[in-house]
Amino acid sequence: MTDREARAALPGIVLITGVAGVGMVAVLATSLGLVPLYGDAELGLDGWRKAAPDLAAGAAETLRIAVPASLLAAVIGLLLATLMLVGGRGAVLVRTGCLAVLAVPHLVGATSVGLLLGDGGVAARALAPVVGDTGWPALVGGSWPVATVLELAWKESAFVALVVLAAVAPGHARRMQVAAGLGAGRWHRFARVLVPTATPALAVSSMVTLVYAVGSYEVAWLLGRASPEPLPVLAYRLFGSIELTDRPAAAAAAATAAALAMLLAAPALAALPRLRTGLSPDRGLS
Amino acid sequence: MTSRARSIRATSRPALPALAVTLALVASACSGPSPDESPRAADRPWDEVVAEAQGQTVDLWMFGGDEAGNAYVDDVLTPAAAELGVTLRRVPVADTKDAMNRVLSENAAGSTDGAVDLVWVNGDNFATGQEAGAWWCDWADDLPNLQYVADDDPLVAEDFGVPVDGCEAPWHKAQFTFAYDAARVTDPPTTVAGLLDWAEQNPGRFTYPAPPDFTGSVFVRQALYALSGGADEVPTSYSDEAFDDLTPALLDRLSELAPSLWRGGTTYPRDQQALDQLFADGQVDFTMTYGPATLTDLVADGTFPSTTTVLSVEDGTVGNASFLGIPASSPDQAGAAVVANLALSPEQQAAKADPAVWGQFTVLDVGLLDAADAARFANLPDSPVVPPYEELSRNAQPELASSWVNPLDEAWRREVLGSP
Repeated sequence: MTDREARAALPGIVLITGVAGVGMVAVLATSLGLVPLYGDAELGLDGWRKAAPDLAAGAAETLRIAVPASLLAAVIGLLLATLMLVGGRGAVLVRTGCLAVLAVPHLVGATSVGLLLGDGGVAARALAPVVGDTGWPALVGGSWPVATVLELAWKESAFVALVVLAAVAPGHARRMQVAAGLGAGRWHRFARVLVPTATPALAVSSMVTLVYAVGSYEVAWLLGRASPEPLPVLAYRLFGSIELTDRPAAAAAAATAAALAMLLAAPALAALPRLRTGLSPDRGLS
Repeated sequence: MTSRARSIRATSRPALPALAVTLALVASACSGPSPDESPRAADRPWDEVVAEAQGQTVDLWMFGGDEAGNAYVDDVLTPAAAELGVTLRRVPVADTKDAMNRVLSENAAGSTDGAVDLVWVNGDNFATGQEAGAWWCDWADDLPNLQYVADDDPLVAEDFGVPVDGCEAPWHKAQFTFAYDAARVTDPPTTVAGLLDWAEQNPGRFTYPAPPDFTGSVFVRQALYALSGGADEVPTSYSDEAFDDLTPALLDRLSELAPSLWRGGTTYPRDQQALDQLFADGQVDFTMTYGPATLTDLVADGTFPSTTTVLSVEDGTVGNASFLGIPASSPDQAGAAVVANLALSPEQQAAKADPAVWGQFTVLDVGLLDAADAARFANLPDSPVVPPYEELSRNAQPELASSWVNPLDEAWRREVLGSP
């Protein structure tokens, strides 16, 4: 990075450090007992000790939700972007649909998915003649976070699709023509041209989805089971606990979620420049 | 060492001291108030309070999921407050804890211009606020309408074992209530322990919300009474000895029961609303609530079946009173006190007790009212679903001290939730 580039990036770095950095310091300070709701601040690990028994199970549940949801969103998002790249009236419809899905808040989406997939929900009622009154699987609040994953994948796939579309659309028609001229069939054009071209955008948007899903509280709270709790749900429950001394434990759970998100994002961020240079459409087709 | 590594070392060196300094600054700036610092109201004539309240806007933070309660505040209490020169605004929250978090944060910041003027509160939330010195105190004893509340009413003098101490004004009484669908349950149990047996004999047809949900937490305390040989066997105030002595039987029984619950006890409804949804959908045959007033509306609008019946248990259920609290950080404390006094008036209490309005049980002692006011209560229509308070509170048991709540909830999470 040149000095000029560094100077250009400075406002963004200051802003991010200012907002996120101060927030994280406050969370860490709370977890260490330095920001009590009452009484004297006292440095200690009581909050971490209190949260410790639930942190591993919470992290596992968080990953059980975030990883499949991000993978699913990537696959569906790529397919939606492919449909939009085809053009025509269908593409307009898909694009409008994606924009509509983006506009729906996750809270509303989770409520809708709950009403659709829950026990006694629309799907269970519609399929009652087939599966019977008690044959509907526990998609909401069951042993596997099916509804949570589906809601996140559904909402985030629209985001992935639009990011991929924006990245791939310029020059897409020309690349397809060249590939077709070289004898590539439909499958080869998709697998050998579109997918590599879309990969950097797909990776970035999937990483954003993954990090968002790790920190997402409301969807898992509404559609997930009572235990084990994903880290954000655990943090929120402890934050609202009637025990004033649970605040440090809540902050410890929140800090663990943040660390998990950073841990997941770091390799992806490290891989991105390689992806961008290695799979650039200009390099591939120039 | 490469230049890049050197530059990283160079930049990271001042970072640690900087972080330490920041943490130290945060620590020195963020010590919270001491627990015994509750500000106390000055002793002054009620007329002065009313005069100061003129033109004030009081924000009442309360659970917003009870439509009848919302309608009562909007259509009955708010217009009456306006006549007294106070604007009342209802601020709905999903959980009283949300209001408490706001109050506690404002208190920790030393704010005297907070957003919360009045809170519908009781039990553990009140105790938490007391512990943090977040309530304004000594004001409730001066309310003129407190004369209609019996001095010796234990439900009003203490809130989950915490002395009210003039820090909140009573609002209404509540009784923990089980309800079942009589069309599906033809042999209803008659005791709480019998209810657990019924659940075992009817796999998948019973469940309860997962503590720390308020209703689930009450259910566990109710089960503790039932499995300990009655409320008299459980000391109201918490001690480690009593906890160690009494909870193993409770936790063992609830763990043993889990496989017979809805979905084999692998999961539990998150809150009372989720349990109500299961009951409304016919997934389970019982529901439970600390606010039986809601049952009338739920049956009337068809959410619950018309055959919904309140379960009468011989050993009785726990009862408590709800209160209105004024935070120390409220900028409109006089207006809030005027509203709390208004809410305690015989007119408002009678209107609120009407099942067609809200159906909440009064905290007033009708024997202390004059004939006209007493007639308001005598003439109230009966709910088609909820029995009168006298019947519902037969053999009522006191709530355990709030210090019991968290240890019980945590023990349940560790030993019952994770058991199947």
